[in-house]
Formats: sequence, structure tokens, C-alpha cells
Amino acid sequence: MLNKITGHEVDRRLLLKGAAAGGLGIAGATMLAGCAPAASGPMSFGARTVDESPTKQLEALVAAYTAKSGNEVTYNATESNAFQNNLSQYLQGTPDDCFQWMAGYRMQFFADQGLLEDVSDVWDDIGSQYSESYKIASTGLDGKQYFVPQSWYPWGLHFRKSMMEEIGLAATDVYNWDDMLGALKELKGQGLIGLAAADKGGWEAQGTFDILNARINGYQFHVDLLGGREKWTDDRVKEVFRHWEMLLPYQNTNVLDLEWDGAMQLLLQKQSGFFMMGSWFGGNFLEQSQEDYDDLMIIPFPEINADHGRDTVDAPLDGFCVAANGGNSGVGKDFIKFAGDMEGVQAMLDTDVPMTSANNGQDKSSYDAFQEAQQAVMDEAKYITQFLDRDTRPDFAGPIVGPAFQSWFKDPSSTNDILESLQSQWDALAPL
Amino acid sequence: MNSSTTLDPAPKKAPKAKRRRSFSKRDRLTLGIFIGIPTFLHVALVWFPAAATIYLSFTYWTGIHIGDIQWAGLANYENIFFNTPIFWDALRVNVVWLIWFGAIATPLGILLAYQIDREIRGSKFYQAAYYLPVVLSLAVIGVIWNFLLRPDGLVNGLLGLEISEAVSFFGDDRYNIWVILTMASWRHIGYIMLLYLAGLKAVDASLREASSIDGATEWQSFRKVVFPTMKPVNIIVIVITIIESLRAFDLIYIIYGSSGGLPILGVLVFQNIAGEGASMKGAAYAVILFMLSIVPIITYLRAQFKEDVK
Repeated sequence: MLNKITGHEVDRRLLLKGAAAGGLGIAGATMLAGCAPAASGPMSFGARTVDESPTKQLEALVAAYTAKSGNEVTYNATESNAFQNNLSQYLQGTPDDCFQWMAGYRMQFFADQGLLEDVSDVWDDIGSQYSESYKIASTGLDGKQYFVPQSWYPWGLHFRKSMMEEIGLAATDVYNWDDMLGALKELKGQGLIGLAAADKGGWEAQGTFDILNARINGYQFHVDLLGGREKWTDDRVKEVFRHWEMLLPYQNTNVLDLEWDGAMQLLLQKQSGFFMMGSWFGGNFLEQSQEDYDDLMIIPFPEINADHGRDTVDAPLDGFCVAANGGNSGVGKDFIKFAGDMEGVQAMLDTDVPMTSANNGQDKSSYDAFQEAQQAVMDEAKYITQFLDRDTRPDFAGPIVGPAFQSWFKDPSSTNDILESLQSQWDALAPL
Repeated sequence: MNSSTTLDPAPKKAPKAKRRRSFSKRDRLTLGIFIGIPTFLHVALVWFPAAATIYLSFTYWTGIHIGDIQWAGLANYENIFFNTPIFWDALRVNVVWLIWFGAIATPLGILLAYQIDREIRGSKFYQAAYYLPVVLSLAVIGVIWNFLLRPDGLVNGLLGLEISEAVSFFGDDRYNIWVILTMASWRHIGYIMLLYLAGLKAVDASLREASSIDGATEWQSFRKVVFPTMKPVNIIVIVITIIESLRAFDLIYIIYGSSGGLPILGVLVFQNIAGEGASMKGAAYAVILFMLSIVPIITYLRAQFKEDVK
């Protein structure tokens, strides 16, 4: 870690931060030091993934940029959790010039700390290729843009067409809550799991909470709750958990022993009818086989309260930022512009790794059936949310909401206690 | 030992003070470097971060700009003690861990050492077998056992269970802590065994012989003769047992990540200090963990040394 320190001030900061984490000999603090190697070419790019499909995509983007501009790009990949845990150290040290990140609160926080480069001028050039809502999601608290979107994906109910056909269930007709419970009952009757669920990672179940809350109480309440303007102890939140409890009998029982990929296996192996997840895992199905991928389908989470219909969807936006402390932020900005421009997007699409680009220029007529279904889920929604851990304070989502939902799975009858505790933990958060 | 007695500045002990002759310049320089550099490194890398952590635990800070540090008084501690149920869950796991190590794993290691020391047939084989896990880090042990016990792992595979029916070794509160403790003990027992074995080898065989001639049973001779002669090793073993139980981190982190599936203080420190969720609540957790480890150890060591002085 020490060789990454450049200036004196950074040195003190890093030491203090490192001190807080590692001072008392917590072995894991060494993980903080797992930074990506320093830039060696004219610019470097930091990928937030080591998975096969997205890596293929990003490497194609980098290669296309090098071919066009002649600038050599060093490609550094870090596993996504490690990258996230390390981000503030990374950005204060000698980060890659351009790196992969997420829109919304998670970007705004770092922009606010002066760690991201203002890319408003890039938006002046390529902004016309994006819809207004994506621009808003890319904008920091000061009204400037700090982010260029790459792709989006909706959260929804995924299922396998062939499996539903065999059972004789018209899954696409599942429109409201009663339809859903009926379908789940049918699946259970066949000896199958209705809804594959996981929460070992602490974040997976947050998607189910988001959508239940938005369906029952509407977009505004959901956003206000996550922003701290409504209370967790509100009866409306209890209603969310009352509905969630109705789903439990149809879920696999080892929710806390499975991470998202374990639950995905349940769907892949046709042990489970539905799987509530972000559509990004389609790439994993494709890695299995084209046949598995073609069998995959998504529908919006059903309507519960007719007042709100199916008007909200969690559709996180992934993309790129330019680091303020990078060695060559000029080239970084040039790169991010290329990545956001249709030319760069096309380079990624040409890899044939499925991607729903945020760029309006992507030829939607070339969408496959699964991508069309994702688009339909998006089109039906009026309001787009990012995801619980992107829409609320990070010191609340990770360390507090995650374990709270996990303990709810252990004892669903403790809803009231858990909600009271969530509220009091929110109230006790450090002032911003 | 010699050099420290020569350096002893206490002039009260008259005979030793005589030996405090003047050093040549060269000696001073050498000593200065030999002591100065390690002291500097120690202060810079251990004491400074520790003091900074203690200070930061009384502040609000996101860990980025020094200027943003705000004094918070006891707020972080208040938050942990009164508002954070997971703290008490984690403390419970750490305490169970400590009791398990103290009452089961450590005594088992001592028992194994004692058996092997008697050079029963194949003792070399047992020694190697029990010691083998110690060469692995807890992180590696976590990876190995995770591979065996996860829902799509070897054990559930051999039992012929599908993922959905798999025994929930890590997710079910009824047994996850015992699974973890078994994994941790697998290594801890071998560690204690080796330490104790080294100590036993140093016990004069004639002591044991004498006690058996006096008609002491095996247990009596261990309890009354061998155990007390092993006092220095016993102290090390106790201190190690306390430290290993409280600092537990890697094993849990490998299996659960920082999600809190089985909360433990070490992971709470990390979860609250790393990543985007950084707050000085993590520093406060670290201080609590530090106090929990240091207080019993200091108390115990002081009592021991007082006895020695007598």
C-alpha cells in the first residue's frame, strides 16, 4: 500500500484510514491494500469484474479505443466486492484514469468528496444519445455530470419458458398478486420450489423488498423511506413484510445458505419456477449454453395495489467514471467519451455478449427475445429506482439493512422488533 | 538477556550499576540504530495507528478528508451498545468461541500433546497429522471447508441432496456456529499440541519418574508435577487461546463475506470501516475488541508475574 502513496496529505489520510481499520491487528485490513497495479501506459482502465462475459465486452471496448486513438490502455481487473470495499482508498491513491462504477447515490458520494472528474463537457458532446433520466442519474449533487452510463438491467421475475410449458402454466399471464400466489401454489403442488431466493450475501433480498414496497406503497413512499423522510416503523412497511411472509412457504428453505448464484442454479436446474433477480445473470445462462439463454424470460413483478399498478422497477445503471487523482485524466475523459459514444457501444455489442445499452443508438430490432422482454418491463414502468443499496446511505444499506433482513428470514414473526431496530439505527447514523 | 542487563539504567542495584561503563561512540551508534529503528517502526506502525483508532472512535468521519473529522463524543459507542442488535449477536459468538476454545479445543490439544509425548506407537504419524492443518492459514481452511460443506459442495453431493434440500451447514443457526468452531478447532488443536509438546519435551524425565516412584497416578503426576513445571508454556497457551478466539476474522470472512451471516466482532470492524459504508463506528468496534482482548490478558499476566516475584 505504501508504494501507492503519492503526496504527503494522501499519506496521512491513508495512514489514518489504515489505522482505523488495521491498527488493532485485524487481519482482514490487509485486504484494503489489494489495490489494482499502478498505471504503466498512457492511461489505465479499472474493471469492476473478473467474470468471463463482461470482461470480453470491456476488453473489446478497450481494444477499439486503442485502435482508434492510438493511446495505449492498461486493463486492470478487480473482483467486484473487493473493488467496492477498496474504492475510497483506491480513489485517494493512484487510481486508474477511468473505472467502472454505478450511478446514483454511490457515484454522488464520491463526486461530492472531490474524487471524481467532472465530465459535463463529455455530456455536451454525447448527451443527445441518452435519455434525460440517464442524465439525471449521472449528475452529482452540484448539478454536474460525473458518470457515463454503459448498460441497464431490470429486476423482475425470471422463469424458463420450457419449464412453464411442461407444467402448463401461462407465466406471462401472471399479472397481479393473486395470479402469482396461484402460480406458486401450482408449482408447489408439482413438488417444485415456487420462488428461488438467496440472501447469504446480504443484498439479494433487498430487491424483493424494493419491489414489494413500491408495489404496495408506491414509488414516492419507497424513495422517501430510503431517504429517511418516512419511518421504518410505519404500518405501511409492516404491510410489506406481511406480503413477503406469504411468499416464504413457496421459497427454498436455505435462503441464508445460498448466494445469488446458488439461487440461480435452482432456476437453471429447473428446480424452481421463478427467480427474482436482476437480468444481468442472463450472461451466466449464456455461459452455460445458448439453449439455456434462449429459454430465459422475464415478467414484471405483479401488481399488488391497483393504485400503483406495475409502475416502478429497480433498474440499476452501470457505467464509467473518471478518477480525479488518475495519472492522465485527460485521456480518461477521452476514453469515457468513446465508451459512451455509439462507436464504443457498438464495439461492446459486437462481442455478442448480451447487453441492453443505455445508449439510444443501440438497434433495438436486433434485441433477442429476452432483451425485448427486459425492454417491456422497463417500458411498463413509470418510475425507475436503482436498488436499495444504491438509493440509500451506504453505511445503512450494507451494515444495517443487510443483517436485519437476514434475521427476519430466521424469524419472520419478529417483524415489529426488526423494524423498530432499523428505525433506531437510522436515527443513530452519523450526521452527513 | 545480557545486553538488556547492561543497558539497565536503574542505578539502585549497585552491583549492576558498576557494569554500566561508558560505551564507545561506535557502540552507541550501533545500539542507537539497532534499538532506534525497530522502536520507530513499532511506534509508527503499531502505536500511532492504535492511538489514531482510539481517537477516531470518538468522531464522525467518512474516511476521506481529514478536515471532515467531527467530534462525536461517545455517540459511536452509544450507537453500538444501545442501537445495534448485531453487536450483541457478534459478542455472543465471540464469547462462545472463547469458551469452546478454552474448555474444549485447548485441553484437547494438551491431551494430544501428552499422549504423543509418551511415544505411543505411530506417535510421529499422529503428530504430523494433527499438526498439518496449522500450516494452512484460516483463510485457506475456510476455502477448503466451504468447498466441502456449501449447498452444492462435496458433503451434500455425497448425501445425494439437491441444492434446495441441502443441509444448511452455514445458514442454519442451529449448527452454523458449531460447524465454524469445528473448522477453527481443527487448526487450533494442532497449534496448541505443538506448543505443548515442545514444553513437555523440556520437562525433566526424572521428575515424572520420581513422582511415579512416590506412588502418584498418571493424572496426579500430570496435575501436580508436570503441569506446574510447564508454567511458561501454560501462560503462552492461555494468551494464545484468548487472542485466537477474539481476533477471529478470516474464516468467517471467507465463508460469509462481510454480510453478517454469522456476525463476529472482527467482521463488524471490517464491515463498518471498509468500502462505501465507512463510518467511525468501525473504529469503535475495533476499540471494543481491543479492550476485550487486552484487559483479560494484562490482568492474567500481572497476576502471574506477581506470583513469580513472590
